[in-house]
Amino acid sequence: MAKNASRRRDPARGMMAASMVFFFVGFLLLAAHDGEWQSFLLALIVPLIIFGGTALLPRLFPADKLLLSLTNFLCALGVLMLYRISPQRGLNQAVNYGVGVGCMVLCAFLIRYVRSWKALTILMVGGSLVLLALPLLIGTEQNGAKNWIWIGSYSLQPSEIVKLALLLCVSFLLSQKKALLSILFGGACLALLMLQKDLGTALLYFGLCLVMLYVSTGSLLLVGAGLAGGAGAAVMGYQMFAHVKARLAIWQDPWQYTQGAGLQLVRSFVAIANGGLWGVGLGLGNAGNTTRAGGIPEAYNDFIYPVILHEFGLIFGAVVILMYLFIVIRAIMIARRSTSVFHALVSVGCAGLITLQTFVIIAGNIKLIPLTGVTLPFISYGGTSMVSSLCLIGFLQGVASRNKAGVDQDRALAMHGGGAP
Amino acid sequence: MKKLKKNILRAAFVLCALFALLLGYGAYTVSVNSNRWFSSTLNVYARQKRQDVIPGRILDRSGVVLASSDGEGERVYPDDEALRRATVHAVGSSAFNMKSSAEYFYAAYLYGSRLSFPERLGYALKGEKYKGDDVVLTIDSALNAYAASLFPQDKKGAAVVMNYRTGEVLCLLSFPNFDPRNTSAAPSGASINRVTQSLMAPGSTFKIVTYASVLENMTDYQSRTFICGGQLQAGNRIITDAGTDLEAGKITQHGALTLREAFLKSCNNTFAQIALELGDAALRRTAESFGFNDNFLFRDLVVENSRYPTSNRTDGEIAWTGAGQSALAVSPLHMCMVASSIANDGTMMEPWMILEARTASGGTRASFSARQYRRPLNAAQAAVLKDAMRGVVTGGTGTAANLSGVKVCGKTGSAEIDGQEQTNAWFLGFLDEPASPYALAVVVEDAGGGGSVSAPIARQIFSWLLSHGY
Repeated sequence: MAKNASRRRDPARGMMAASMVFFFVGFLLLAAHDGEWQSFLLALIVPLIIFGGTALLPRLFPADKLLLSLTNFLCALGVLMLYRISPQRGLNQAVNYGVGVGCMVLCAFLIRYVRSWKALTILMVGGSLVLLALPLLIGTEQNGAKNWIWIGSYSLQPSEIVKLALLLCVSFLLSQKKALLSILFGGACLALLMLQKDLGTALLYFGLCLVMLYVSTGSLLLVGAGLAGGAGAAVMGYQMFAHVKARLAIWQDPWQYTQGAGLQLVRSFVAIANGGLWGVGLGLGNAGNTTRAGGIPEAYNDFIYPVILHEFGLIFGAVVILMYLFIVIRAIMIARRSTSVFHALVSVGCAGLITLQTFVIIAGNIKLIPLTGVTLPFISYGGTSMVSSLCLIGFLQGVASRNKAGVDQDRALAMHGGGAP
Repeated sequence: MKKLKKNILRAAFVLCALFALLLGYGAYTVSVNSNRWFSSTLNVYARQKRQDVIPGRILDRSGVVLASSDGEGERVYPDDEALRRATVHAVGSSAFNMKSSAEYFYAAYLYGSRLSFPERLGYALKGEKYKGDDVVLTIDSALNAYAASLFPQDKKGAAVVMNYRTGEVLCLLSFPNFDPRNTSAAPSGASINRVTQSLMAPGSTFKIVTYASVLENMTDYQSRTFICGGQLQAGNRIITDAGTDLEAGKITQHGALTLREAFLKSCNNTFAQIALELGDAALRRTAESFGFNDNFLFRDLVVENSRYPTSNRTDGEIAWTGAGQSALAVSPLHMCMVASSIANDGTMMEPWMILEARTASGGTRASFSARQYRRPLNAAQAAVLKDAMRGVVTGGTGTAANLSGVKVCGKTGSAEIDGQEQTNAWFLGFLDEPASPYALAVVVEDAGGGGSVSAPIARQIFSWLLSHGY
């Protein structure tokens, strides 16, 4: 009786059902438009992945269903938008999504079952530095930054993977009261990123380290010193790199640069204005169509959010931002319930990374801050990005499952009268 | 652990604040800019959509149709050519990218983007094209046609009339103009709306701003006299007055003057001295309080931003600035707003050009009302300037604008432009009559003195307004 009542009230199930219907209808609409069999296929497969990811996964381990349903919605939204922009990319992204869910489960298990992090941390620190140095040696330059490496025909952005290692290592070091070591490691990563000229990611790493340092030490002095150092580095970056100067100039007035790099920002504004409150309708806009007039260059990557605003409208766009907010709030709740410093720090780090990354790219899209090329978590095109975002959710699930395990143990003990609840 | 959880909460607060910032700034930027973005010439989407829409009509404030559409959605203009030409810069033409015209700026209404979902569904079910909304402008087309007839033939220039209590723009003229029915015959540059888009030196009309800066910064100005010796050496520049011809040995001298007298005679020498005494920073502060260097983000009307130079400047440049020359750049509409703020007791209203948007069936889609832009002066300061501007018309350089029975106030300007034979003739003015709160700016380029060329046009416009119930 009690079980049924709780099931009926579970918001995660309602959310899951709603998003399954949403994407079923969404892909059907696209199918009605293009008549391709892939569209019909995705109309079935994507809701199934959502069902699997939200309803079946929790049978493997005690997972946070609300977090799962929110994440799955955003990932599926990415697949839908990318498929609408370019079917090939959409299909690729569906595969990325599937792989990402697998990695998420692995990460959850990693956090759930690994008891000693010392050896792993040493390994990860070494590995991270090597990985970050790689693009400098064999990387290729894109949009002014040298942050990609190619393995055969596969491209990889090491900084996306190292992000996860950084989060775990810094959490571990700080939980062992080794603040200095963690600062050194974070600083080394930042230096390597600056050398790659990947300032967007550097900003993320920097913000992440700052949040975690504050949470573990509570020292505003440290945060202040960090901010001062960051400001110094920003000024240095501005002086040293031409593409940073150009980005800043575009940020001040993109309308002056519509013949060049300011065009994507201006196109994004126009797309948003056309969308209005309710959007022009899925598949009916032109902003995502990079090959046609009016399309936003990089619509599938840095500028996917304006495409969502264009076709779904401002209200839906606000809901998407709120979904990120709920994910972050959920992560904070998990952090506050966790039983060890390490797990609390990992959860806070996940919350920080998701917030910063979402903020940096969307704020860049709407000209609140200068544009830096980071991906929108769960939605932007790209395997590395999708996997690393879902790994963050995996970490959170791992911590949540341990919290839950702790609660269950307590409850069991209490029921047997063996100990204090 | 307890401290850790407290820190987590604090950090969470910062993270949530970032999301709040995103939503807040997003809502702000969209509400302020979306019309501007929509009316951008880069809006390919809207242009493609026009094929499915029969555009709404553009009407003037008394209901005269300035542009309508035939069954195919093509634009139809009125039969009177003079009327077409006189309203073309307010109405716009689809042949040019006229970004501050109704055709562009109100495209969201005219081309059906504001249709509600049921309306769209209704059209779709009936199998008809969407019908865009009608837009009613604040413009009076008869006034436009009359004012256009006063303008000297073959001269470039602009004229704008606005209600200084509300900011409504009644008349908006730019020359050269063209006939929207025959766009291929348009002279080059005819699509530029000089009222809003053309930045020029304000000449002596800027002395209003210099005067205001004195009221703000110089407490003893009433007891002071200034000596105009004809020539003033400032840095590497020499300030002279109209009529001076150094080669012919002719020098205009005004002698000893009060500030008001200097304003009436439009003495460059005095205002240059004042600018040097006030200093660049104080003068710029006053200019910025009038809206110079601001990014104009009016609801409608795309107005080019006015410039007061911000870089380090020589004494010669500062001195000339006091008299309205030297790298100052301002649109006629903005100068009309400056005059309006004096008339309106120190409050500058936002200029606007759309009264309301109506659905095809005659309902109201949206209506608009007056909005304050800024408040550069207090009422007492405005009264001093009003009195000085009254003096210009009754016994100064602007007597040609005077009308008997009403209080006309104004300021002339004759701005020197490099490479031009004659000066740009400016006149700013307003009726200091509670029942007829109208201000105007008239500029005739390369035509001579403001007092002789533009002031008479202003007088006739004022007289038309008074005889037509305004």
